[in-house]
Amino acid sequence: MFEALAWVAFLEASVRLGVPLALAALGETITERSGVINIGLEGSIIAGALGGALGALATGSAGTGILLGGVAGMAVAGVFAALAIGLGTDQIITGTAVTLGGLGVTGAVYQARFGVTGTALSLPTLDRWSVPVLSDIPMLGSPLFDQPPTTYLVYALGPILWYWLFRTSWGLELRAAGEAPDAARAAGVRVLKVRAVAALFGGLLAGVAGAHLALAHTGTFAENMSAGRGFIAIAVVVLGRWHPGWVVVAAMFFGAASALQFLLQAFGLDVPYQLFLALPYVLTLAALAGWVGRATAPAALALPWPRRR
Amino acid sequence: MPDRRRLAPLYVAAGALVLTAVLLALGLVLGGYDPHAALSALVRGAFGSRDAFLSVTLVRAVPLILTGLAVALAFRAGVWNIGAEGQLYAGAIAGVWVGLTASWLPAWALLPAVLGASLLAGATWALVPAMMKLKLGVGEVITTILMNFVAIHAASFMVRGPLQESRGVFPQTDAVGPAARLPLLVDGSRLHGGFLLAVLLCLGLWAFLRWSRAGFAVRAVGGSVEVAEVAGRIRSRKVVGATFLASGALAGLAGGVEVSGVTFALYENLSPGWGYTAIAVALLAGLNPIGVLVTGTFFGALQAGAGAMQRSAGVPAVWVVAVEALVILAVLGLDQAWRRAMVPRGSAVAHRALPEGSGPKTDRSGERGPGDSDV
Amino acid sequence: MPACARLVGVEKWFGSVRALAGADLTLEAGRIHGVLGENGAGKSTLLGILGGLIAPDSGTIEIEGAAVRLGSPGDAWTRGVGLVHQHFALVPTFTVLENLSLGRRGGSRVGRLDLRRVRERVQALSERTGLSVTLDAPVSSLGVGERQRVEILKALLRDPKILVLDEPTAVLAPSEVERLFDLLRDLASSGTSVALVAHKLDEVLAVAQDFTVLREGRTVLKGSRAEVDAVSLTRAMIGGDEGAARPGITRKVVQPVRTSGDAVPSEVVASLVDVSTRDEAGGLFLRGVGLEVRRGELVGIAGVGGNGQRELALILAGRRRPDAGVAHLPDEVAFIPQDRIGQGLIADFSLVENAALTLQRSSAFRTGPILRWGAIRSAARDLIREYDVRASGASVPARSLSGGNQQRLVVARELRVARDLLVAENPTRGLDVMSAAFVHASIRARVLEGDAATRPGMVLISTDLDEILALATRILVISRGRLSPVAPDLHTREGVGTLMVGGSSA
Repeated sequence: MFEALAWVAFLEASVRLGVPLALAALGETITERSGVINIGLEGSIIAGALGGALGALATGSAGTGILLGGVAGMAVAGVFAALAIGLGTDQIITGTAVTLGGLGVTGAVYQARFGVTGTALSLPTLDRWSVPVLSDIPMLGSPLFDQPPTTYLVYALGPILWYWLFRTSWGLELRAAGEAPDAARAAGVRVLKVRAVAALFGGLLAGVAGAHLALAHTGTFAENMSAGRGFIAIAVVVLGRWHPGWVVVAAMFFGAASALQFLLQAFGLDVPYQLFLALPYVLTLAALAGWVGRATAPAALALPWPRRR
Repeated sequence: MPDRRRLAPLYVAAGALVLTAVLLALGLVLGGYDPHAALSALVRGAFGSRDAFLSVTLVRAVPLILTGLAVALAFRAGVWNIGAEGQLYAGAIAGVWVGLTASWLPAWALLPAVLGASLLAGATWALVPAMMKLKLGVGEVITTILMNFVAIHAASFMVRGPLQESRGVFPQTDAVGPAARLPLLVDGSRLHGGFLLAVLLCLGLWAFLRWSRAGFAVRAVGGSVEVAEVAGRIRSRKVVGATFLASGALAGLAGGVEVSGVTFALYENLSPGWGYTAIAVALLAGLNPIGVLVTGTFFGALQAGAGAMQRSAGVPAVWVVAVEALVILAVLGLDQAWRRAMVPRGSAVAHRALPEGSGPKTDRSGERGPGDSDV
Repeated sequence: MPACARLVGVEKWFGSVRALAGADLTLEAGRIHGVLGENGAGKSTLLGILGGLIAPDSGTIEIEGAAVRLGSPGDAWTRGVGLVHQHFALVPTFTVLENLSLGRRGGSRVGRLDLRRVRERVQALSERTGLSVTLDAPVSSLGVGERQRVEILKALLRDPKILVLDEPTAVLAPSEVERLFDLLRDLASSGTSVALVAHKLDEVLAVAQDFTVLREGRTVLKGSRAEVDAVSLTRAMIGGDEGAARPGITRKVVQPVRTSGDAVPSEVVASLVDVSTRDEAGGLFLRGVGLEVRRGELVGIAGVGGNGQRELALILAGRRRPDAGVAHLPDEVAFIPQDRIGQGLIADFSLVENAALTLQRSSAFRTGPILRWGAIRSAARDLIREYDVRASGASVPARSLSGGNQQRLVVARELRVARDLLVAENPTRGLDVMSAAFVHASIRARVLEGDAATRPGMVLISTDLDEILALATRILVISRGRLSPVAPDLHTREGVGTLMVGGSSA
C-alpha cells in the first residue's frame, strides 16, 4: 500500500516536472527544425512566469495568466528573432544574452512591484481537470489524467506538431529552411519569415511553460524560478532527436530523473538531496554521450542566413 | 587611406555603451526612478573613493577578468565554452579542499597548491564537454551549460556534506588558513594578489595570441577550421582540445583566486553568475585579452556601483544583469549593422555568397593582427 | 510573335565586380533560346535574375508585356518562370518526392501534404517526358545526373511558361543530352519558352532557334538561327580582334607549353596506388585510382563536375585518407582550392596573416615557438607586389578583396611554398578574364618554366576543358571515379571531350 502511494507520488512528480520542460522543448523543436537554435528560451520561460503571475494577479484568472505568459515569452523571443534572424547576429551569443536579459528584467520588474525582499506572492492556480474514466485507472489515472489543463496541452501538442511537421506543406517548408535554406529559397520558401515565426512560436510555448511554473502548482513567482529549465529543454530537444513525440518522452524522462529523489526519500534511502538535484543533468549528459552522438540535427542549425562574405 | 575597418571594434564598443546608457536611463525613468540620482550613485559606488575603487570595483573585477579571459580564449578558437560558471565552481571546490586538507605542505607551497588545484579542476571540468565534442560530436554549448548545473549542485553538496564547517551548522566550509590566502596588494584595502595575477595573465595571453605559433594556430582554427588545416597544416582537433582545457583552467583559477583572495571559504552561490557575465566581458573586449582587462574592470565597476545604486536610489541591483545583457545585444547588433554597411549588398545573394568560418564571429574583422602594420 | 519575357539594360554588381553591365535578353513563346558567353560573361547572373534568385541593381524585366519585380524565386514561380539550377537547389536530406513537393501548397486548406497526388503527377510527367527518378530515395544518395532530372521535374511540375536551364548538359552523358533536347523541343512546340545556357557551342547550335551572346556583362549579339553561325557566335563570345589583343583571351588561342623531349624522366614527387574512397552511403567515389606525378610536369585531370574530383583533390592535398590503396605524398603540398574563402583564406584575417598560414610552416619564419612577424610581413608584401594583389594595404581583411584578388593572394602564397607538389582545383572558377589569365601565367611560370630541378610537379583538376588544354603537359580524364589517360594526339577539345562524357578512348 505504502509502496503504491510512493509510486503514484513519483509518477505525479515526474509529470509535474516534465510538463513545463515538454512545453518549452516542443516549441524549441519547431524553432530548431527551422534552423534556429534559441538559447534564449530560459529568458522566455522566466518572462512567461512573471507575465503569467502579473496577469493572473490582475485578472484573478489563472487561465488569462497562462495566455499572458505566452505573450510575454513570445515578446522575449521577438527580441532574439529581431537580432539573430533579422540582423543575422550569432545565435548562441544572442540567445545567452537574451536569457541574461530575461532574468535581469524580470527580477527588476518583480522587485519594483513587490519590493526588494519580495513578499510571498499568492496567485490563483489552475484548476485540475479530471478526465472522466481515464482518471480512474489505478496508479496511472490521477498522475496522468487529473492534472492542470497545460498537461493535456502537452499530450495534444505532441501528435499535432508531429503531424504538422511531417505531414503538411508548412512543415515541409519549415524543415527545408532548417536543412538547406538556399534550396528552400529557390523553391519559393520565405526562409527568414518561416524562421521568425518558428522562433516566436517557440517563445510562445516557453512562455506558457513559465506561466505553468507559476500558476499550475506553486501559485507563486520567485526570481530565477525558471532554474535553468530553458537550457534543459534544449538538451531535451537533442535527446528527443528533434522529433515532437520523442521530445515529450525525453522531457518526461528528465522529469522522472528529477522526481527520483521523492521516490528514494519515500523508501528511506539516505542520500544527500543535492546529489539528486544534480542527477538529471548528469543523466542528460550521459544520454547525450550514449545514444545521440552525431545524430540528426538540422543541417543548417545555428548558421545565420543568408550567408555573407 | 586610413582603414575604417580597423576601428570597428572601438566604434562598436563605444556605440554599444552609449546605447546601453540611453536604454538604461529610459528604463529607470519608466520604472519611476530618478535616473540622475541612480546613475551618479552607480558611478560613486564604483569610482567615488579610493576604497570603492580598490576594495570593491577591482576586487569584483578579478573573477570577471579571469573568466572573461577563459571565454575570450575559447571563442577565439571557435569553442563555445558557456561553462565558465561551472569551471569556476570546480576550481573553487578544489582550491578550498586543498587549502583545508593539505596543511602538511610547507607553508610556502600551500598557496601555489591551492591555485594549481583550481587550475586543474577547471580543466578537468572542461574535459568532459571537450571529450564529448571531439570524440562523440556532441555540441559543447549544451554540455557546458549542463556541467554548470552539476558543478553548482556539487558545491552545494560539498558545503553541506564532506566539506561542511566543523560545527556542522552553516552551509559553508571552514576558512582556509593564512598560508593559503593571497597577499594583499595595497595596505588598508582588500585588493589582493589575484588582481596582479589577472593582469599578468591578460598580458601573457595577449602576447601568446599575437606572437606565438600556437596562438596563431588558435586564431586560425577560430577563423576557419578548413583553411587552418588545408593551408596552415594545423591539427584543429588538437588545438580545439587544448584551448578548451586551457579555457577551463582559467575559469577554474577564477574560483581558486576568489576563495584564496576574498571569501577564504566555499559558499553556496559563491558566484553571482560571473561565468555568464564573462561572455559580455569577452565580447565587449572584442575577444582581445588586453580589452578583457578593461571590460572586466568596467563590469566590476558596474557590479560595485549596483550596490550603491540600490542603497541610495532604491534601484534593485538586479538591474545590472539586464544592463549586461543589453551590452551584449548592443555589441552584437551594432557589429552586424556595421558589417552590413561595410559589405556591398550584392554579396548577400544566397547561392553565390561564400561560406564563412564556423567559429564565433565577433569583432575580429577590424582587429590588428601582429603582421599588420603597413609601413 | 509577342515577347514572352524581356530583360532590358540589366546591371548587377557583386561587391566591386560588375557581373552585368546593361545586358538585354528577349525570350519568345514556343522557342528555344541559347544564351552563350565565356566563363564570367554574366550568363548565370542574368538567368538568376530572371529566376528571381538575384535582385538586379538596375534595368527592367517584363513578362508577357507587364513590367515586374522579381523579389524572390517565389515571385518568379508565380509569374511562370521555372529555373533549373546549375548548382542543384535540392534539400539533400529530403527524398526526391519531398523535394518535388516543396514550395507547392497542395489544394487542401490545412496545408496537408498530399504526397500521393504529387507522386501521381510526377509519375505521369515522368512518363510523358522520359525523365525517370527514384521518388523515395533521399537526394543525397543520387548521382548528379539524377539530381538534374529532379531539378527539371521540379520546374516542369509547376507548368512554367518560361523554363530557364543553367548549364544543364554539364553533368549529362551524350545520350542523356539528346533526350533532354528532345524534351525541350517538345516543350517549345507546346508553347513554352525555353532559355538554355550551355558552354558547348555545338550543342546550343543544335537545339536553339534564337541566340544571345554575352561578353563582360553586355549583350553583344542577338539573332535567330538563320542570322548566326558558329563563326559569328564564337567571335562574339571571344570578342574578335579587339579581344585577341588582350591577355585574358590567350587561353583559347595559345598552344600549351609542353616540356617534351626530357631525356631523363624527372623524379616522382607523388603517387597514388589503387586509391579508392567511400562516401557515407558506402558507394565508391574514387575507384582504384592510380597516378604518378613527376617534377616539372603538369598533369591535367579533366572531367564533368561531380565525378570524384573533390575526393581526388582532398586526397592529394592530404586532407583525406584513402579508404583503400596508398597515397605517397611529399611533406609539403601546396593547394589552390576552388573555394577561396571556404578553403583558401580566412575572411577575417589580414592579407599578412593569410600569407602567414603557409609561411609559418617553414622554420625560416619562426624562432622556436615564436613567429617572426617581421620576416613574414616583408615576405607577404613581396608576394602582394609580385602578384599585383590590389588592396588598400597588407593589413586589410581578406574579405574586403574582390574574388580575383583573393585568388591572386592564394596563388601567390601557394606558389611560394610549392616545392614538390602543387594541387589546384578549378583555380580560375568564377574569376574575371584578366585574373584568370594572370593565374594561368603564374602557374605556367612556376611549374613549366625554369630549371627543371627546382620546379614542383602539379596536378590541375578542372572542369574547364580549355584550362586543361592550355596548361597541361599530360591529360587524364576522370569519369565516375576512375582515371583514364588521354593519348597525346587526342589533346583536343573533341578528343578529351568525348572521353569526359564517357566515350571510349579506343
